[in-house]
Amino acid sequence: MVIWVWLIPVIIIALIVIVFIAYYNKFVIKGNRIDNSLAQIDVQLKRRADLIPNLIETVKGYAKHEKGIMSDVTNARKALLSAKNLPAKLKANNQLESALKSIFAIAENYPQLRANENFKQLQEELSATEDKIAYSRQYYNDTILDFNNSIKVFPGKIFASIFSVKERKFIEITAEEKKSIKVSF
Amino acid sequence: MAERVLFYNQINKNKRNSIFLVIIVLAILVLIGYVIGMALGPDYFTIVMILAIIISLIYVWVGYYYSDKIALASVKAKLADRTQYHSLYNAVESMSLASGLPMPKVYIMQDQQINAFATGRDPKNAVICVTTGAVEKLDKSELEGVIAHEMGHVANFDIRFMTLVTVLVGMIAIISEIFLRSLWFTNIGGNRDSKDGRMQIIFILIGVALAILAPIVTKLVQLAISRKREYTADATAVKFTRRPTGLINALKKIKNDQPMKSHRVSKSVAPLFLSDPFKRKVQNAFSTHPPIEKRIAVLEKM
Repeated sequence: MVIWVWLIPVIIIALIVIVFIAYYNKFVIKGNRIDNSLAQIDVQLKRRADLIPNLIETVKGYAKHEKGIMSDVTNARKALLSAKNLPAKLKANNQLESALKSIFAIAENYPQLRANENFKQLQEELSATEDKIAYSRQYYNDTILDFNNSIKVFPGKIFASIFSVKERKFIEITAEEKKSIKVSF
Repeated sequence: MAERVLFYNQINKNKRNSIFLVIIVLAILVLIGYVIGMALGPDYFTIVMILAIIISLIYVWVGYYYSDKIALASVKAKLADRTQYHSLYNAVESMSLASGLPMPKVYIMQDQQINAFATGRDPKNAVICVTTGAVEKLDKSELEGVIAHEMGHVANFDIRFMTLVTVLVGMIAIISEIFLRSLWFTNIGGNRDSKDGRMQIIFILIGVALAILAPIVTKLVQLAISRKREYTADATAVKFTRRPTGLINALKKIKNDQPMKSHRVSKSVAPLFLSDPFKRKVQNAFSTHPPIEKRIAVLEKM
């Protein structure tokens, strides 16, 4: 009888501790998932920037006179590489995207360039990385949604306030992104 | 959040089912060993039982760790070359990013039919196999839709259960068949008058019944499960691509496609595929996949 009286509070305390640990770990794991998906966006942006010098080299060989557009691309790439935070990076990426659109539009005037294997490959790679950037952004928002839900729903809400876990912000689609990019010829 | 819960339920269900399946297969194998041991007579019983237990443990172990390789080998799939199939790699990489799952290995199998399947024991050891027909006939968003469906199977842990079922059940069918055939060579009821002789006949009859029934029952279970999974994987695919059009168009193309050259695909691997490789028209308890029209209709409502 004496043992039972002691055992009950011990079990209750143990259960509470386990629940606390479980919630703490849940927040950490979900937070790490967000950081990890953010890193994935960076990887894709970096890969995109790495493809640009190759593209410029190839285009130079066929369309020497299009200096303006090529410096646009180079500048956008520099802006992308020097951008510090995600919004700045994404903004630079949008500039790069519109500059690239112009290059590919100009390529229409140079049949030899269009027929170049290397150019075709780069064009495909660049549009593939653009897709990948979009998909990794999508997953980044998914992980944030999941995280925010877990700290807003009861009883997660209570634990979130105990561990002072803060809500994370989604990547907003900027106004520039919403309107379709105009290609200048 | 309801759908999220649904996916987690699916994952837990699949993990549980995998364990059940392994236990059931172990039990069936030991039972078969018992029946064979009884059929052969008391002289062999102990040795047959020991063998049966050892063989069934090895069998399940091999099934768990090598089922993906067995499935891939049975359709003669090869690791896809990155430069030759770069558009396929791009699609798989995109879907791996969209789903947040590790990049699976990409395999290719030579067949003109548009089809694909996923296998492996967990998302870290996943393989996606696509036919050459799918790479040639599908455009980018359709290919992404198909890959997203397969990633759906990976995400929901369907691959572990499905591949285990395919390989473990497929092998049971083979073993039962060997048992049936070996009966032709045994001296059935050589001494009819003795009690042992009659016991032997009874056990041989049970053995025959088991050999016939076991594959049918397990097959029925496997097929019923497979059909529900396809709808879930379609839904997961839409969650990854955010638009159902790619998968819908791919399914429409598959609908008008030719059947797979059946000598390449053993029947037991059929449930793994995106759509029925043999393109059987009649729907019944033995169908491996839900009708494509129905899947398209469900997707169009999303």
